[in-house]
Amino acid sequence: MKNQRKIVKRKLNNVLTENNVKKEEPDSTKSIFEEESDSGTEDLLSTEVNNNDESSDEEVNENEDVPVSDTEQDQIVFESDDEESDLSFETDSDDLGLDYSESDEESISLNESNDESKDENLKKKSENFNTPTTSKDNVSEKIKKNKSSKTNINTKNTSDTLQTKKQSKKTNKINKSDELNIGEVVQKDKVQNKKNLKSDIEKSKRKNTKNSTESNINNENNDETIADQEVDEYEYDSSDEEDIRNTVGNIPMKWYDEYDHIGYNWDGKKIIKPQKGDQLDNFLKRMEDPDFWRTIKDPQTGQDVVLSEADIDLITRIQKRKIPDVTFDEYGPWIEWFTSEVMKTPLRKFPEHKRSFLPSKPEARKVSKLVHALKMGWIKSTAELKKEREQKTNKPQFYMLWQSDDQAEEMRRIHKHIPAPKRHLPGHAESYNPPPEYLFDNKELKEWNKLQTTPWKRKLHFIPQKYNSLREVPAYPKYVKERFQRCLDLYLCPRALKMRLTIEPEALVPQLPSPKDLQPFPTTMSMVFKGHADMVRSITAEPMGQYIASGGDDMNLKIWEIATGRCIKTIPCGGIIRSVAWCPNQSLSLIAVAAEKKVLLINPDVGDHLITNKTNQLLEIIPQSDVIVSERVKTAVQWEQAEGDYWTNGIRIILNHFKIVKQVTWHGKGDYFATVMPDGQNRSVLINQLSKRRSQLPFTKSKGLIQCVLFHPIRPYLFVATQRNVRIYDLIKQEMIKKLLSNSQWISSMAIHPGGDNILVGTYDRKMLWFDLDLSTKPYQTLRLHGTGVRGVAFHKRYPLFASGADDRGLIVSHGMVYNDLLQNALIVPLKRLCNHESYNDFGILDVMFHPIQPWVFSAGADSTIRIFN
Amino acid sequence: MASATINNSAPQVQIKFLTKQEQYAVPDFPLSVHTSIVPNELNTLVNELLKGSAQLISKCADFEPMKYPSTEVKNNIEFDFLVCSQFLRTSLSEHILERNISTEEVIIVEYVEKYPPPEPQDCLIHDDWVSAVAVCEKWILTGCYDNTLHIWTSKGKHHLVIPGHTSPIKAVAWISLTSDMATFSSAIYSASQDQTAIIWDWNITKNSVDCIHVCRGHERGLEAVNVNYDKTVMATGGWDTMLKIWSTANQDENEDGESASKRLKSEHGKTRIPKRTMKGHKEAISGVVWSDKTEIITSSWDHTIKIWDSELGGIKHELAGNKSFFDLDYSILSRTVITASADRHIRLYDPRSTEGTLVKTIFTSHTQWVQSIRWSPVDENLFISGAYDNEMKLWDTRSPKAPLFDLSGHEDKVLCCNWSNPKFMVSGGADNTVRIFKSKHIVR
Repeated sequence: MKNQRKIVKRKLNNVLTENNVKKEEPDSTKSIFEEESDSGTEDLLSTEVNNNDESSDEEVNENEDVPVSDTEQDQIVFESDDEESDLSFETDSDDLGLDYSESDEESISLNESNDESKDENLKKKSENFNTPTTSKDNVSEKIKKNKSSKTNINTKNTSDTLQTKKQSKKTNKINKSDELNIGEVVQKDKVQNKKNLKSDIEKSKRKNTKNSTESNINNENNDETIADQEVDEYEYDSSDEEDIRNTVGNIPMKWYDEYDHIGYNWDGKKIIKPQKGDQLDNFLKRMEDPDFWRTIKDPQTGQDVVLSEADIDLITRIQKRKIPDVTFDEYGPWIEWFTSEVMKTPLRKFPEHKRSFLPSKPEARKVSKLVHALKMGWIKSTAELKKEREQKTNKPQFYMLWQSDDQAEEMRRIHKHIPAPKRHLPGHAESYNPPPEYLFDNKELKEWNKLQTTPWKRKLHFIPQKYNSLREVPAYPKYVKERFQRCLDLYLCPRALKMRLTIEPEALVPQLPSPKDLQPFPTTMSMVFKGHADMVRSITAEPMGQYIASGGDDMNLKIWEIATGRCIKTIPCGGIIRSVAWCPNQSLSLIAVAAEKKVLLINPDVGDHLITNKTNQLLEIIPQSDVIVSERVKTAVQWEQAEGDYWTNGIRIILNHFKIVKQVTWHGKGDYFATVMPDGQNRSVLINQLSKRRSQLPFTKSKGLIQCVLFHPIRPYLFVATQRNVRIYDLIKQEMIKKLLSNSQWISSMAIHPGGDNILVGTYDRKMLWFDLDLSTKPYQTLRLHGTGVRGVAFHKRYPLFASGADDRGLIVSHGMVYNDLLQNALIVPLKRLCNHESYNDFGILDVMFHPIQPWVFSAGADSTIRIFN
Repeated sequence: MASATINNSAPQVQIKFLTKQEQYAVPDFPLSVHTSIVPNELNTLVNELLKGSAQLISKCADFEPMKYPSTEVKNNIEFDFLVCSQFLRTSLSEHILERNISTEEVIIVEYVEKYPPPEPQDCLIHDDWVSAVAVCEKWILTGCYDNTLHIWTSKGKHHLVIPGHTSPIKAVAWISLTSDMATFSSAIYSASQDQTAIIWDWNITKNSVDCIHVCRGHERGLEAVNVNYDKTVMATGGWDTMLKIWSTANQDENEDGESASKRLKSEHGKTRIPKRTMKGHKEAISGVVWSDKTEIITSSWDHTIKIWDSELGGIKHELAGNKSFFDLDYSILSRTVITASADRHIRLYDPRSTEGTLVKTIFTSHTQWVQSIRWSPVDENLFISGAYDNEMKLWDTRSPKAPLFDLSGHEDKVLCCNWSNPKFMVSGGADNTVRIFKSKHIVR
């Protein structure tokens, strides 16, 4: 296909060039010689270029300008050389005969006539060639090409459009559909093509041959230059065409040296060699003809051709390695056909591959390999190499052998290094001339000899000897042995201190202050209160601290004097007393006693007579109230004024509950008291008001088996302990504030710190839980001090003490310091275990209480005694 | 002489005997004894010395016949030895070692005749706990938990029962006792838990009792009462933390009382109000004692001892302890205060000293709370204490580690004791008895 195209091109080109030559003839005022030579040079150049093209057809299209120009230049230089040789040769031939000059002219004229006749034919031919029918095949091929290779399209388009205009339209259309960029280019071409269409062929003919040659060269070089020129440069493309006036083909022309012709023209007629002038002619020509230097010989036709100014210019530009085209502005503004900027919207529809965001693994592997090699010393950095080289070139090196001996820090890898023991400095005995007292006398010598078997016991390991001068001292015989011994010593001696971490179990125990510093606290039992006939279940102390009251299974309430341990009073209560509580109000003398289903308010009639009398008076009067008591409360509790025997016994008010009352506890001000009936379900807690003799049921729902309740000492809070949790209720707002999670099976008792922010909870599963209300709903500390279930816990009102009693008969007194500083947690130190009670039916201590003022603790035991410890 | 005690292996010390009892004086030349010598050996040594000197005297009787009481020293006399003003109870070496005395110097060993052991004389049985006891000459006044007062003679004869209080009696005291046979009357003062103190008039001859005054004013139970030396005023303290001073005079104060408190008078007719009320203690006053004409020392449960001026009515001085005090007594002979507190120790205070440690000596032998404590009226070093460990103990201040004698006999807590009469040590206890111990007093 290519060949076919080339042939077509060639033909077309030939026609055009000939046309040009023809046309020029009438116009040019120059001599025929010149014209001929002109055309010849033009041909020559074209041939040269074409040759070049032919040898690398593809390259021309694709490659840039520079290499093309290079090859051209080379060719030209070569040609000129040839010319010179030719010249010399010619001169030789000129010497032989000068006459040929005329014949030369004639032949030219003949050529002219031939040319004229040909011209007409060629015109027709060119017209034929221009017809679309003939070149349609080519076009279709090109379209195919366009599709296949986009890169080539631009250059090809240019060359293609040169040939056919009408077809170019079609191709353009197809190109449009193909690609946008290319389409643009094609558009340009279109415009140019249209222009070209407008400009007549005549017009192009009128142009001189130089222009055409130029345009040809330009075509090859650059599209832009073409665009600049208005000349219809695409009309003829002789770029890859040979000059085929001589039809001998590509043969060494020397074959025709013997003949007087140099080939045949298209008509098969011989092309006659032009007559060569002799040397004289040449010389004359050189002398006379100013254009001699630019006259060259066309090897195909043998004609002399005078190169035009433009040609010379071109040649000199090529020789100077400039861009051949003068008009080409190599410093012109750069037109970016493909933008280098990153566009906001990607050209491609699909996103960047994930790979592109990840660091390259092979690279990392390579780097790591390099690093490893560097580390291992397989390869060395330049700095290291340099150092090495320097070291090699330097003088021999000496090392400090003992440098690290006395510098422990520099002993690498040996921490806590022990420097080797120093040798003793020699003393007087070691001297070669020791003072006489150092010399052994007989006795010492004997002794020294006696220790032959145990030499290490000797005072000196040698016998001091005396010499007159240092010269006479012989070589030391034991030198090697001693050195060896020294080395052995150094080898065997420990070089480093071994640090061993030994953790004593004691170190893990938190630092607690010594109990000695936390005095006073109860340490010994000082008295036993005997008198009860059965288990003592509950005890309570008078606020002044003079008396205590106790009650138990023997159904008697007993009042004791603390100082002497005397039971002052015994009040029968008619039921097992489960709880007693002395009214904290100091202006009232009252004890609340929970005996079976009754709660008795008893005036013990001890202490201030005025107060006891006042209490009696107060309780005699039944306050009238028109508040209607609800049925729910009424069935739960009835208030009853004590009379008769009850009154004389000290009992003042009786509250008849509907279930067994387990606990009774006073509010701090002594007007309200709460009673607990664990079996009462949703009526298990009652809050009673003494002054109005009224009861309330604070809860409507049962939250579980309620064990005990407690009033907050300052705020209107009620602590309710069910089996597992402690709930704190605000009695004014009537809502639950907090729920303390005990995480134990069964709560037994509860005590509140007088500050009101800490609660101690005893449980039947052997634990004591210290809750810090400010801290959390979970226990601040869990104390597992008892072996069995804890029955009673108590805080001291003034001292930082708390105590707990359990079934294991142990009463444990602990220091529980609560700091005002919110940042500091409570300090809890178990101090003393007091185990004086006797066991009875597996019960030990049932209740624990502190003296309200003194650091004394009371415990009520199942062995029907109460004990005081101080 | 010294050769008798020489022991080859043990080191020797030089000792010199000294005594303040002239009848047992020995020549004061230093003797060399081995350090491990014990009091018994010293005793024989002194006795030997005494015998020796007696023989010597008898030999040269012509010159100084009466200088040494030679004839008295027939039998061995028991001596107690004081080294560095403390009784020697262990071997001399240990004693010296304990006190860091140099063995180089001559050690002065003072010896005194041993206090003769008190003998239990009688046991007075009551119906209830005896919580208060007071002795005056031969009369023993006891207060009981059954709200009664009893008067006994020292021979153990029960004279009188005085009911009248409504609560247990906590303290009793004699105000005055005239020993004229015919018209004699004595006043008994009793304080009790019923918040009153009653002054009784007892006609010995008729053996009849009159309630002269009822002292009302205390709000709570009384704990202690003490009458001053000229028997004109008395001080009481109790659970209401007040110290109250009352007049004991029969008539002159009476009118004042009448006019001042008509209401009380109407109730009893004999009601007396306090001369002065002094506030200062924070808790119950457990012991009251007059130390001077106008000076009262009180002990309290609030861990303090306060010294009051009864005329000016204020606190002069305060001593702080670290335990509740249960009782105290003041000795005019040694001018020191001895206290019993809520632990097993007895503490000796010097109320005059303001520097150094307040506690001069601690006496430890009791095993329970010491409830009651009394000085000897005649000896500046001796005192008795009664404690809840059922023991009464006789102490010498120079022997803090061990008492001189344990006076046992009580079967329950000892609640009170008294040594007002030098001949009798009386104690009452929770075993419903009063025990009388006869003390053979030595005149020095």
